[in-house]
Amino acid sequence: MHGDDPQPSGGTDPRQQVMRYIAAFEAELAGCDPALRHDAVIDAETHLRSAIDGGVPVERAIEDFGTPQEVARAYLEQDSEAYGWRSSGRGAPDHVASEGATSATRGDASAALPAGSAAPQLSPKRSLASRIPIIGIWLDPRAWGALVYFGGVGFALSVAYFVWSVTIGSLVIGLAPLVIGIPLLVLLLGSARALCLVEGKVVETLLGVRMPRRVQPVEGADSVGFWQRILCWLRDVRSWLSLAYLLGNFFVSIGTFALTITLCAVSVALVAAGIASLLGMSPILIGDGSEQVTVHLLWWRLEPDASGALHMPRAAAIPMIALGLALATATLWLMRGLGWIYGHVVQAIQVARPHAAGAPPRAAHSQATAPAAG
Amino acid sequence: MYSSVHLALPRPEKLQRDLSVGTAWLVVLATIAGAAEPIHGYEIARRLADEAPAGLSFKQGTLYPMLRALEADGLVRSTLVPSCEGPARKCFTLTADGHRVLDAWTATWRSTRTWIDRVLGGIDAR
Repeated sequence: MHGDDPQPSGGTDPRQQVMRYIAAFEAELAGCDPALRHDAVIDAETHLRSAIDGGVPVERAIEDFGTPQEVARAYLEQDSEAYGWRSSGRGAPDHVASEGATSATRGDASAALPAGSAAPQLSPKRSLASRIPIIGIWLDPRAWGALVYFGGVGFALSVAYFVWSVTIGSLVIGLAPLVIGIPLLVLLLGSARALCLVEGKVVETLLGVRMPRRVQPVEGADSVGFWQRILCWLRDVRSWLSLAYLLGNFFVSIGTFALTITLCAVSVALVAAGIASLLGMSPILIGDGSEQVTVHLLWWRLEPDASGALHMPRAAAIPMIALGLALATATLWLMRGLGWIYGHVVQAIQVARPHAAGAPPRAAHSQATAPAAG
Repeated sequence: MYSSVHLALPRPEKLQRDLSVGTAWLVVLATIAGAAEPIHGYEIARRLADEAPAGLSFKQGTLYPMLRALEADGLVRSTLVPSCEGPARKCFTLTADGHRVLDAWTATWRSTRTWIDRVLGGIDAR
């Protein structure tokens, strides 16, 4: 089957073989959700290392684990149906048991535990928000979640992250000549990683972008001495990415907060002014009446009366309400788009890998699959 | 003609495979429930492999998407447990929902097994 290939495992470092397998596995998962790929890779790495540490030869460990194609397919099948149980009656025994029975008709010739075998057969359901063009955004929970995030929660958190990072960072710089500066730097980087994970959970909840479930350990930090461990933390790109996120996020969130509040305020003001006009709650008073102020509202020119009060024409009420609603709709679309971008930036930081995984994917692919297929 | 009839007959492996497919979730839940302490993915795979009947092999990597789905549905809960041998491991325990589902599946399995035994009993009686 692989007659032209050299024996992939003979005489090579088990760790390198695992990394080649991981590279091939990642290649199989290319194009799927980065958070899923991240979790799947950590699952595979952890499993294979546990097997090797337990005395299983690396070739056998890889063969038992399954080919990259088999395992990747299991993840993809499962992922496409993963939330079925929850959305159709969480954990209801009858429901789940019947799924187990019906699933016996499906399967995979090469795997006795095919993932997705008991997952329900749900037809993809389009939400009401996606069925209604443009104004369906009002029913989209992700848009409202983004509004809450950019209009308050995200800003408050970013201020807290920034204050923490700047405070500890200042101490690190100030104490750098002393030994205590090093542990403080590790504290800063460690806390940045932890805060980024917290941020990930908030983002996942409010912005609807999936975050990884698995936390990849710092490479080598569990098996070496104190100073080497610190070096591992310092060399881990995710530590610095997290810190950069906490610092940079502050300035970005100021902008998004200002934008969100401004758009919301203008939208609400337009709608409220229109309603007030319809309810006869004019006039609008500008200044103390000592100055004659003329206001241009849309295509109406409002002249003050003798007391300096402006009376908004009733005819302007409906256009103002319509304009306010249109602006609010546009704001919700903007929030959703910003939320998507923002969520994927946070996701990219969380799924970043600190090292390249072994050989080039194509070469690694043929090598890693050989023992599993054999 | 002979060839087409021959291909249509189910092979013995097919029964084994279909049984495994139908019971995979049950045995995974049962393995987690049977562990005295929170159990990690590799240990679940090892126990399943040790207890699997002769001739049955499963790809251990396919266990992890199942664990992920079980956790997403709230049937199992995971915790990170520090390990002396390397990075912290993700260990699983059953939730109350998981126990409830396991009980329901076990009852289904037992009633199915009783039914099959009764049907097969007719062969033994001949």
